[in-house]
Amino acid sequence: MSDSSQGTGGLSIDASKRQWPNELNVFGALILIVIIFEILGAIFMGQSLLFDSKGRFDSIFNEARLRIIIIQVAIIGILALGVTQVIITAGIDLSSGSVVGATAMIAMSFAQVGEVNGGINPKAIFGPSFLDLPVVIPIIVGLCVGLAAGAINGLLVAYSRIPPFIATLGMMLFARGVAQWWSKGNPVSFPTEAYAKIGAGMMPVIIFLSLAVLFHFIMNYTVYGKHTYAIGSNEAAARMSGINVPRHLMLVYMIAGMLAGLAAVILTSKNLTAQSGMGLSYELEAIAMAVIGGVSLFGGRGSIIGTVIGALIIGVITSGFTFLRLGAYYQEMVLGCIIVGAVALDQLQQKRAASRS
Amino acid sequence: MNKILFTAGLVALMGTSAMAQQIGVSIARFDDNGLTVMRNGMAAHEKTLDGVSLQVEDATDDVAKQLDQINNFIASGVDAIILNAVDTNATEAMSNAAAAANVPLVYVNRQPINMATLPDGQAFVASNEIESGTLAAFRMCQDLRAQGKSGGAAAYVLMGQLSNQAAVQRTKDFHDVIGMDMCNFITIIDEQTAEWSRDKAQDLMTNWISSGEPFDAVFGNNDEMAIGAIQAMKSAGIDMADVVVGGVDATSDALVSMKQGDMDVTVFQDLAGQGAGSIDTALKLIAGEDVDKTVFIPFKLVTPENIDDFM
Repeated sequence: MSDSSQGTGGLSIDASKRQWPNELNVFGALILIVIIFEILGAIFMGQSLLFDSKGRFDSIFNEARLRIIIIQVAIIGILALGVTQVIITAGIDLSSGSVVGATAMIAMSFAQVGEVNGGINPKAIFGPSFLDLPVVIPIIVGLCVGLAAGAINGLLVAYSRIPPFIATLGMMLFARGVAQWWSKGNPVSFPTEAYAKIGAGMMPVIIFLSLAVLFHFIMNYTVYGKHTYAIGSNEAAARMSGINVPRHLMLVYMIAGMLAGLAAVILTSKNLTAQSGMGLSYELEAIAMAVIGGVSLFGGRGSIIGTVIGALIIGVITSGFTFLRLGAYYQEMVLGCIIVGAVALDQLQQKRAASRS
Repeated sequence: MNKILFTAGLVALMGTSAMAQQIGVSIARFDDNGLTVMRNGMAAHEKTLDGVSLQVEDATDDVAKQLDQINNFIASGVDAIILNAVDTNATEAMSNAAAAANVPLVYVNRQPINMATLPDGQAFVASNEIESGTLAAFRMCQDLRAQGKSGGAAAYVLMGQLSNQAAVQRTKDFHDVIGMDMCNFITIIDEQTAEWSRDKAQDLMTNWISSGEPFDAVFGNNDEMAIGAIQAMKSAGIDMADVVVGGVDATSDALVSMKQGDMDVTVFQDLAGQGAGSIDTALKLIAGEDVDKTVFIPFKLVTPENIDDFM
């Protein structure tokens, strides 16, 4: 058990154990999956997944495909950054997808443009004084709604000792209800030009990767990170060593909520609409990214880098299947196998490492 | 004493309502977008009719509640019932209740499971789902011909949820249309699901674009996915004049997109017309006229030429 109480955060390798960093395994899996798609692509499609096999770009890569691989996982990836921290505390967040839905509806209502095609905005939620607002308002509203949802999650988990699974399940249902109630199921569309820029083009990727770098440092080099790992490894020990566990858990869930709020803002900007069904099952995809990336659901283990690679794996598989023109059925079957396989391999490695020490 | 008063009141009530046709309406849920349009269509039609009075209730997506509503309508002696079923698998009991009481029953918008064994005095009013995909696909074929692409055109198809009947049907309609002699110059490069979602469609379309395959048309099983595809194509710098994009639903977002010259074809499901049609059918059943078991309200094709009729 000495192993699990260590909490290897990020790439910090415990030299005394000479344990192969888990992120390298995950990265290896990513490379392996790319190679499989390259081979299948060469055989069945006569072209390459990642490289420019038709001479369409200036570089050797198929830049368009490299971009979409990351774009399509960036928004859920932002959720996954928060979910990773929650899981490292041995918690779980089932509410992130629904919080995206609720935040999307509410934030977008403050981002609507007044005039569409010479007429008034047919989807306006509030009166004219709430149209054409400066772009900071919907962003702040979005962050605050997410933060509030996270705070409620944190309050329930940290202070009332309701299991995270139940607390966030409650929030998942509640927030989806809010999303549907907000405009009685009607979509909220037509944002201002400034708002439309937040999620345009590569912006989701830039935001995702910047946040990933930020949280990588926070998790590895700050007290916040060390406490997060400590709580997940052994909560009783963390408490006895003087960590204010409830306050810290509260903080972790609030950060996760705020990231969900941010993801909602980017998502609605990217799509130029908010709909009550948005973010459906995002929580599971975010958890999948973390788990594929080596984050242990038992807490204390995992890293931001792992989760980012986990997100890339899902992105490569999604694009790879479209590239091979295979149906969605197979895609989900394969994803299911990969998630279970990743955890099984991880467990095996853990056991081996434990018996060696 | 109370009883006498009550009976007297009831008699008086029946006296005044003897002329008016009382129709009970149970809607699956009031907060649904499309069903609200249908409900408003009913209310608007009611105003144009003399001596028809609707009593509209919300079943709040609860099957048991809806059956109670039907029985309450029957007990209060309505002349007919219009039913927008919460669960189309649970309509047998409702048909039986209405038939036993000899009250005409009209199903609207959602097809009851017992369609084949529908008792006399009952009917189903809706739009024929086969029309929507066919109308859109055929118009896209005409547009492609008009652009001089009859020598060969390539298309992508964005499908809805694979478990959904409308998604399967609309995709099949597209296949059927390009199977016709006039439209067989169109080939499908790939078809995949984007689960009715604009976001998924945007990513899927970007994936397709990244393969560099030239294409001329994109058909979305609904407008949301067509709009997602348009957003992806625009950010990839594709000129929307070169691509024919079709969807189904004629949502207000789609109409705006068409006004801007991006979307080329969509199809309007006349939900208000379904609402009005259900009242007309109920009145015919009350009058004892012959009514087809299925009454179809036609879909309407929306293109840049007639878009102003829908805005």
